[in-house]
Amino acid sequence: MAPTASVSVSLHADPIGPLLLLEQWQQQVAPTPAETPAATCLFIGRVRGTTATGQPLDALELEHYPGMTEAQLQRLAIDCARRHPVAAVMVRHRMGLVLAGDAIVVVAVLADRRGAAQRCCQELLEALKQEAPFWKREWSSGVGEWVLGNTPLMPPDCESG
Amino acid sequence: MRVRLFAGLREAMGWSEQMVRAAAPATPLAVWHQLDLDGAWRAATGAPPEATPAGVPLPAGVRVAINQRFAPADTPLVDGDELAFLPPISGG
Repeated sequence: MAPTASVSVSLHADPIGPLLLLEQWQQQVAPTPAETPAATCLFIGRVRGTTATGQPLDALELEHYPGMTEAQLQRLAIDCARRHPVAAVMVRHRMGLVLAGDAIVVVAVLADRRGAAQRCCQELLEALKQEAPFWKREWSSGVGEWVLGNTPLMPPDCESG
Repeated sequence: MRVRLFAGLREAMGWSEQMVRAAAPATPLAVWHQLDLDGAWRAATGAPPEATPAGVPLPAGVRVAINQRFAPADTPLVDGDELAFLPPISGG
């Protein structure tokens, strides 16, 4: 049984700088180089510039369930950290109106080994896509359409974000 | 109990939350039919207009949360519960 990992989760109403958030978090969980685990896995998801039907996207509106969404992100991160020998897990997620190209989600994992860091990061990303209560509405030419569900992980669209 | 709706389901019904007195023994599925959410959801998603018969699961992708945790649609409800119907979610 691995020691309990540090888990940090937050929602952001304003645009986020993924690398700045990563830096701030690393300084909190591993203040000195000697304390920093050898492997860091980072995923940044950005809003695609086109809608599901290929139209130019102006913005993505992201609705959530205040209280449940935060609690669910925390549960998913803790569960994932229990399945892998990792030291720390960070999730940063946008809410509200997110412009094309802006970061919508950032997941980072610190671990002693790259395999655990990468597997935990990927698993957690998939879990939050399927199990975190968020709803996306794509805005294009003044018309908003709710997105019903997620893209699959594998082809035809193997990009995630 | 308090019933909450989100996203497309909220807009299809025109309300985000209301207090509901559910007929005992209450389950999320029974409340789904009691509030006629089925017809509104089917109209909003372009699904066939036939109502989901009572006793069968909710439409594909629609999930239930009780007191802000996912729960099966046949979970017994108690007074004071916060019940939410969640249309298909898309995080990340």
